[in-house]
Amino acid sequence: MSENKGNLEFRIITLALLMVAHLIAFSHPDTLVDHNFLKGYPNFDTILIGSEPDYPPYCIVDENGQPDGFSLELFMAAAKAAGLQVKIKIGIWEVIKNELANGKIDALPLVGRTPEREEIFDFTLPYLKLHGAIFVRKDTKDILSLEDLTEKKLIVMKGDNADEYADRARLAKTIIHTNTFEEAFQMLANGEGDAVITQRVMGLRLLENMEINTIKPLDINLPDFRQDFCFAVKKGNQELLNHLNEGLSVVIANDTYQHIYFKWFGPVIKEELSTEDVVRVALFIFFPLVIIMVVLWVLVLRKEVKRRTRRLRNEITNHKNTWHELTLKQEKLAASEDQIRLLLDSTAEGIYGIDKNGNCTLINKSAIELLGYDNDSEIIGKNVHHLIHHSKVDGSNYPIDECAIYNSFIAGKKTHIDKEVLWKKDGSSFPVEYYSYPIQQGEQVVGAVVTFWDISDKKRTEKELLKLTEELELTVEKRTAELNEKVLKLDKSQQAMLYMVEDLNRIASELKNERRKLELSNKELEAFTYSVSHDLRAPMRAINGFSNFLLEDYADKLDQEGRRYLDTIKKNAIKMDKLITDLLSLSRVTKADLVYTTVDMKQMATRAFEDMATTNEKQDFNFEIKNLPSIKGDVTLLTQVWQNLIGNALKYSSKASVKNIEITAEDSKDEVVYKICDSGAGFNEKYKDKLFGMFQRLHRDNEFEGTGVGLAIVKRIIIRHGGRVWAEGQVDQGARFYFALPKQ
Amino acid sequence: MDEINQVEILIVEDNPSDAEMALRAFKKNNLTNKILVVEDGEEALDYLFKKGQYATKNKDSRPKIILLDLKLPKINGLEVLKEIKSHPETKIIPVIVLTSSKEESDIIESYQLGVNSYIVKPVDFEKFVEAVRDLGFYWLLLNQLP
Repeated sequence: MSENKGNLEFRIITLALLMVAHLIAFSHPDTLVDHNFLKGYPNFDTILIGSEPDYPPYCIVDENGQPDGFSLELFMAAAKAAGLQVKIKIGIWEVIKNELANGKIDALPLVGRTPEREEIFDFTLPYLKLHGAIFVRKDTKDILSLEDLTEKKLIVMKGDNADEYADRARLAKTIIHTNTFEEAFQMLANGEGDAVITQRVMGLRLLENMEINTIKPLDINLPDFRQDFCFAVKKGNQELLNHLNEGLSVVIANDTYQHIYFKWFGPVIKEELSTEDVVRVALFIFFPLVIIMVVLWVLVLRKEVKRRTRRLRNEITNHKNTWHELTLKQEKLAASEDQIRLLLDSTAEGIYGIDKNGNCTLINKSAIELLGYDNDSEIIGKNVHHLIHHSKVDGSNYPIDECAIYNSFIAGKKTHIDKEVLWKKDGSSFPVEYYSYPIQQGEQVVGAVVTFWDISDKKRTEKELLKLTEELELTVEKRTAELNEKVLKLDKSQQAMLYMVEDLNRIASELKNERRKLELSNKELEAFTYSVSHDLRAPMRAINGFSNFLLEDYADKLDQEGRRYLDTIKKNAIKMDKLITDLLSLSRVTKADLVYTTVDMKQMATRAFEDMATTNEKQDFNFEIKNLPSIKGDVTLLTQVWQNLIGNALKYSSKASVKNIEITAEDSKDEVVYKICDSGAGFNEKYKDKLFGMFQRLHRDNEFEGTGVGLAIVKRIIIRHGGRVWAEGQVDQGARFYFALPKQ
Repeated sequence: MDEINQVEILIVEDNPSDAEMALRAFKKNNLTNKILVVEDGEEALDYLFKKGQYATKNKDSRPKIILLDLKLPKINGLEVLKEIKSHPETKIIPVIVLTSSKEESDIIESYQLGVNSYIVKPVDFEKFVEAVRDLGFYWLLLNQLP
């Protein structure tokens, strides 16, 4: 009965789990989700589990030594559902229990949940609930309750739940421990103990296997020895625990559990359920199970919600991004549309667009203004050719099939025309220049854009230019004629000039000849002068000299008259010599080259006085010389000037009572005027022009001796210096001689 | 011939009147040294460099002073001066140029050739005597040259 009851409980648990599973399934309308949900987990590393060889029918080994059993198969199914690879190690309970506790293995498929074990393991939800039973020999009569065990020998397997339970509940004073359940049952059958406590189903199956029929389970309830069998993992291995829980849920939900259960325990026998049972099951098993399942489901649900939330959030972000990009593009588009509109409206050229039928699709401000319309609504949508291009320049009809714009854009070509007119709203026309460009979408021409502007001014300018050119040509023609005339005149003038040049050349050549002749005669003059100086003077010297000898050597033989004759001869010889000397001076003045240096005129005049005056004269004369500016001139010739002028002053003052010579100078911008005053004999002003003439004298020889050459020499020298010379005077009132020399 | 070797004053003058006046001027200044008058440049050079009629002249004999007219037949005075001043044996002999005018450009050239002094031949003979005295070349004659 108890066995049946256990099966029944299990059935109920299974149903409950199925319900939960269905609930989960319903919460995910997309049934793939579950599948994906499990598949989506990353493969857990291969796990190692331990399994017992002797816990039928839960954990056993088959005849080939391979691990088998209900719990093991269920574990494998759950692990598979959770995507886990499993390796199995066979070992006795006490060993594998410790290995799990030490972490040498990852999980155990069959572990009864007890408070002691919860300290070291974590458990999945229970997949099996088994109750313990007291097994006694069939002939035992004195054990009717748990208390009756106190004085008996109790046999348990070491480490089994029963061992823990017996210890916990202090069931018996004497407890015998065995290593296996077979050993415990064998001892009981042999009478070496009084009772064995173990799990009921397992115990019955074991006894059957051992072919022992002298032992039976007692129908005493062991409320504290109820075992929840679970998969166990090491304490804290939450991740593996979750996987196993999920795997378990899946196998329970998809009938795998039922299939495995049926394989190992056979079909469940239907039984009448007592009210007490139903209540008990409901209270102790069903509700907690539901709560657990709900919690589990909530966990799964939350995870899925999180995942979906994440995915949704991503999608929202993507959508947002896309939306943002679209908005930006739209804004840019709007901005560029505005810009294009602005560009269109701000150009001076008229621009309009037409579709393939020639109807206006867009038009800018300039175009509207140029065509004399008020706004674009008057043009948009209308046939532009008929509106503004309907007639030719001469006013004759302009059929659309001749229209350059229409024809060119239909052919997909651009065109440029500047010999047509456009017609304004008021019926007037203006000359226009335009470009038309076809608009293409792919291969298809969908319309054209026409840019045009008023070329009235240009045409007018062209006309004016033409007129100006004509006028200019006329003027040029006229001027050319005038020029030709002038050229003719010039030719004549040139001819005349050529004649003149020829004349000039001839004259120049004549002058050259003359100059050559002059140079020749100058040379002759030089030679002549030289002759004069040497050869003409020599006889004079001889006449004078020998007259002198006669006077010296033969004075006693001559009478007074004879001596007077000789004196006259001597005097004339000396005068002749003087004439020759002056003549030489004059010729030197004429031919000598001027050597310009800065001349200290005061020093030069002073020295001239010193040279010219005799000792007596130096005493007799009041010679006064002022500060005289220096001047550029030839030293030798200017010395001669001073000597001649001072000599004259001395000579002509010799008979005066007052003997004064004063030399001054007057400095002006361009020249210096030198002045020499004396208080001598002076001269009659009416003869002043003759003063500077060659051999000209104003006094007789017996008054003042002279040759009449001195002032002529002075004049020549001053004129050669680019200056001028003049004189003032009155008879017996002295004379004033001036000469001016340029500063440059 | 001995006289030729004892010449102290050489006068080179083609005009005999001038030469005579010069001699008289010397005499008036009590310069009675042995004087030789030659009448052209060639003869002057012959005498100085012992050529032609003077080839037999004592080679050590040379005048103590030379009066040289510039205007001479055959070889003129400047050429004679140039020769005298370019030979070491004659270079040291003082040369006095006789000229008709002190304004002559010849004088400048004479100085360039190394003349020692000049006398303007005046028409007035007394002035010539004065010039000879002023020049004081008798002093040169009194002092023997080395």
